[in-house]
Amino acid sequence: MRYSVRHVTELVYAAPVQQAHFNVRLLPWEWDGHRLLETRLGVLPSPDDRADYLGPYCVRTTQLAFAEPLERLKIVSEFAVEVEASQPSSLGPALDKVRAESLAQRDLSEFSPAPYLFPSRLADDDPAIATWAQPFLLDQADIVTAAQALTSAIHSEFSYTPGATTSTTPPAQAFVLRAGVCQDFAHVMIIALRSQEIPAAYVSGYLRTEPPPGKSRLVGADAMHAWVNVWCGQELGWVGFDPTNNCRVEDDHIFIGMGRDYADVAPIDGTFIGSAPQTMTTSVDVLPQTDRARIST
Amino acid sequence: MSEPLISANMSADADLFGPDPASDPLAYYALQGGGADVFAASDPAIGKAWRRFAAGLAAQSHGDLAALQPMLDSQVDDLGLAFRLTGDEQERPWPLNPMPIFIGAAEWQTLTDGLVQRANLLERVIADIYGNQTLIRGGHLPAAVVSGSGNFARRMVGQMPTGGNFLQVYAVDLVRGPSGEWRVLSDRVRLPVGIGYALQNRLALAQVTGGLLASVGVRQQTGFFDALRQGIASHCRRSDPQIALLTPGRFNQSYPEQAHLARKLGFALVEGRDLTVREGRLFVRTIAGLKRIHAVWRWINTSDIDPMSFDARSQIGVPNLIAAASEGLVLANWPGGAVVESRAMPAFLPRLARVLLNEELALPNAATWWCGGEQERAHVLANLDQLVISSAFRRAVVGLADGRTRAGASLSALERSELVAAIARRPIDYTAQEIVNLSTTPTLAQGQFEARGFTVRAFLARDENGQWTALQGGFARVSQQGDLRTSLMGMGDISADLCIVDPTAPEPQEAIPTPEFVSIRREQGLLSSQSADNLFWLGRYGERAHQVARIVRALLSEFSTAEQSPAAQTTTQKLSQLLRQLGAAPKPSANWSFARIAETALASAEQIGSVRSLLKRELQTAQLLRDRLTRDSWRSLQRTMPSYLPGDIESIRAACDRLIERRATLAWLFADGMSRGPAWRFLDLGLKLERGSIILQAVQQIVPGSASAADLSALLDLVDGEASYRGRYLTMPFIAPVFDMVLLDPAHPRGLAYQLVEIEQHLAAIPPLVDDGMPEQPLRLARQLRAKVETIDANKLGPGTLGELRTLLHDLSEAISARYFLQGAEARGREPTRLLA
Repeated sequence: MRYSVRHVTELVYAAPVQQAHFNVRLLPWEWDGHRLLETRLGVLPSPDDRADYLGPYCVRTTQLAFAEPLERLKIVSEFAVEVEASQPSSLGPALDKVRAESLAQRDLSEFSPAPYLFPSRLADDDPAIATWAQPFLLDQADIVTAAQALTSAIHSEFSYTPGATTSTTPPAQAFVLRAGVCQDFAHVMIIALRSQEIPAAYVSGYLRTEPPPGKSRLVGADAMHAWVNVWCGQELGWVGFDPTNNCRVEDDHIFIGMGRDYADVAPIDGTFIGSAPQTMTTSVDVLPQTDRARIST
Repeated sequence: MSEPLISANMSADADLFGPDPASDPLAYYALQGGGADVFAASDPAIGKAWRRFAAGLAAQSHGDLAALQPMLDSQVDDLGLAFRLTGDEQERPWPLNPMPIFIGAAEWQTLTDGLVQRANLLERVIADIYGNQTLIRGGHLPAAVVSGSGNFARRMVGQMPTGGNFLQVYAVDLVRGPSGEWRVLSDRVRLPVGIGYALQNRLALAQVTGGLLASVGVRQQTGFFDALRQGIASHCRRSDPQIALLTPGRFNQSYPEQAHLARKLGFALVEGRDLTVREGRLFVRTIAGLKRIHAVWRWINTSDIDPMSFDARSQIGVPNLIAAASEGLVLANWPGGAVVESRAMPAFLPRLARVLLNEELALPNAATWWCGGEQERAHVLANLDQLVISSAFRRAVVGLADGRTRAGASLSALERSELVAAIARRPIDYTAQEIVNLSTTPTLAQGQFEARGFTVRAFLARDENGQWTALQGGFARVSQQGDLRTSLMGMGDISADLCIVDPTAPEPQEAIPTPEFVSIRREQGLLSSQSADNLFWLGRYGERAHQVARIVRALLSEFSTAEQSPAAQTTTQKLSQLLRQLGAAPKPSANWSFARIAETALASAEQIGSVRSLLKRELQTAQLLRDRLTRDSWRSLQRTMPSYLPGDIESIRAACDRLIERRATLAWLFADGMSRGPAWRFLDLGLKLERGSIILQAVQQIVPGSASAADLSALLDLVDGEASYRGRYLTMPFIAPVFDMVLLDPAHPRGLAYQLVEIEQHLAAIPPLVDDGMPEQPLRLARQLRAKVETIDANKLGPGTLGELRTLLHDLSEAISARYFLQGAEARGREPTRLLA
């Protein structure tokens, strides 16, 4: 499936802020099965310094620096991408085999399982989540089946309630509330998997806005979305699960970045001297493009 | 099991009646417990040093060894040696034992050889992790042992350190086992905490014991600090680089240590907000504008060091510091090296030594097993009772609350089953270590030598050729009881100086350092805007406390005569009003007795303008300036408020007298002890500005409308002018001559005009931002103010002019802040954003 994505973010400050520096993580990392056709990141006003680099996780970072005081900032990210639907070829090995295989990987890269085995700043260890998740994650269960069961459990036990949490609510609290948004569900699922030593990562991206004919609109399509990549053994590698929509990640999900938790892939963060923005507006458009080749066959 | 309790030669000097306790106090040293003792096991030549030193202590204290502790305590206090435990608001005094630990030069050489090998190994391991990762690809080091560490900085992978070395300074905790073998407890490459305490312990001990240390052949420590400085400097591209010590700030546990080290090494002590990165270069904000910094010795964790590269929430870091490092800024130690500090790493070091160095590890850790390996896990579970279990990456994990290490044998049945289940669930979070027994050392407690277990922290630094140099000595912790493995100092622990004794060395001489070339300089390095700000306020707080004490004293003097004279009563009312205006007494105190107002203004903790509160602010400010204050002024600043009898007027007045005398002492210490550079000028600027402001406020409060002779006398008293007035006028006080003396006469050192002359001189002498010959705004205002005062006619001075002068003085203070100090919002710190788009 081919998509064109346009994401506009506008920040307005009550008083001009000084020495503003931002990390922007809005351009897609070229994930396996994703083919980037074109990308563009427009910034207004024009930054005095701009640098692009990959990493430190599976993320493409653009650093912006402004020498002059900043009153408003507009960031427009546009790209076109072709997404191939991927299906795991099997249900994968049992959990204890996944564990052993993940430790045996002689790889520390951002794509390897090792970085995603441990608690991280926003996805910190939580005994209540660990205890709750244990029945879904039995040693002998197939990893894909177990991860799907956990995905379904979060979907059915949690209510999708924008406003119940904020971007800084700890997952442990969202777990107590059994409510939240995609970010909370993804963090809870990551903590659950890691409590059993299963590598799990936070993925940020987009959903197709308009559903295909006959299908209902997916939740979270108006903004950035988040889901979970589970490392399912050496053969399958990373497999995406979306607890917000209780589905596996196929070609409705557009990948932007993968990290240990939200903090690693946050679309914008940075420092400046002054007060936080007064208003922030975003708009996201994800348009599926008709694939002529496919139509003709 | 147990080692011989007393070595044979120990009682060699004993005669029929036993040894003389004064000549050999250690003869009666009775060992406790089963472990070996470092003194008892020492070579005869080293044992002699122990006994000579102990005898020296006894002789110095006239046989009363217990008397040494208070002497040493007060020395420690003078040095400003203090520390905080997490959660402490106040610093604690530093407990130092008078009896050092002596290690022979030969044993020390073997030990440091092992440490150098280890430092080189760690350097190679770190370089591999942040470089090609061949250890991981070769299966020698599991990837999870790296990624599990909270100190692994993925951002730094592929970025090679400026100068080529990841490690510049290395600290290591050691234990000496029962049979004299040394083992490593933990490696510290993140922060060499304790390095300054080792230095200060030696200084305190040397000062209390005179030449005793030298007389037994103890090696000096100084060469190490020269090596450390030159090692860092050697990576800079210019020959005389500016090096800064980056501190998290005064609330950090080891801030006093950092301040001391900065002073010792000649590094600028800076906080993140003092620094800024422009076009890939690092600068410090100084009173003379931005000044380049070439190298940073950081005492901030990697995660906090740069909000643009690591945690965006960091308030203490410097945005884009890492970018500057990639452009040639020297950063010691290079961020990310602390990945080797995890408790899992030692399990792999013996193997890594063979792989990387083709050598056996000369100085091993206590045997360590990481439970992430299947066989290792089985071994640990089978031998749980013989091992201590730790959190592999120092996090809080199930079964080990707060990440604390537990001995397997100490667990209850319930704790044990919980821990075993947790290890089965996430084995990668756990390590186990063999239990290491500590050998003991003689420690002075209540005048007796007692055997206590100890650990040692040793320090290594690279010299200008990149070679490792060990500090000749170290920092020893002596247990009171309990677990010595946790932190640097816990409640109840004491420290001891580790001394290296070289019995073969010739009689030691005070070495005169002979560096090849020292460029003579008279300027005192740079003065950061932050420090200038602090100095200015140190001057202001101190002087305001002084002036409030004077007003309180004047109030009490008037009060004693007020009963006879109605004029004096209005004077006391005016003085009380002045105290209210200065925030020393509460607003609704009109019906209060003058004694109560006086006492409140002196000692109330609630009134922000009371003498007590001002002195507290002064001390807090002084803490930020430790690297700039002399020991005498620091000691003087730390003195507590003089005591007085509550409600007793005479006693309160006496307290004011003592305070005023102390201010005089302190003013003299500043005036006489500080070099006449910008630092002194800012301190004195603050003082003079405050004094001028209070004089003006006093005049405005006391004189307008009608001023009685009693009012004018009180005013003269505030500026110490009564004697000169009488000398000049031989008459009772009248308004115009009093105005002249208090406000207009530049010859009277407590009058306003004199302060203005001095302020102008200071501002003229401070380096300008732009060398275009034009006076800057503060100097312009100071000149305007001085010129205005010069032209005032004392007979025509009215409230309008007084108000004008105060406005000008206020503007001047604002102009000084705006020009020289960090600006408003900037000084309050950054506010990072986290925006969910």
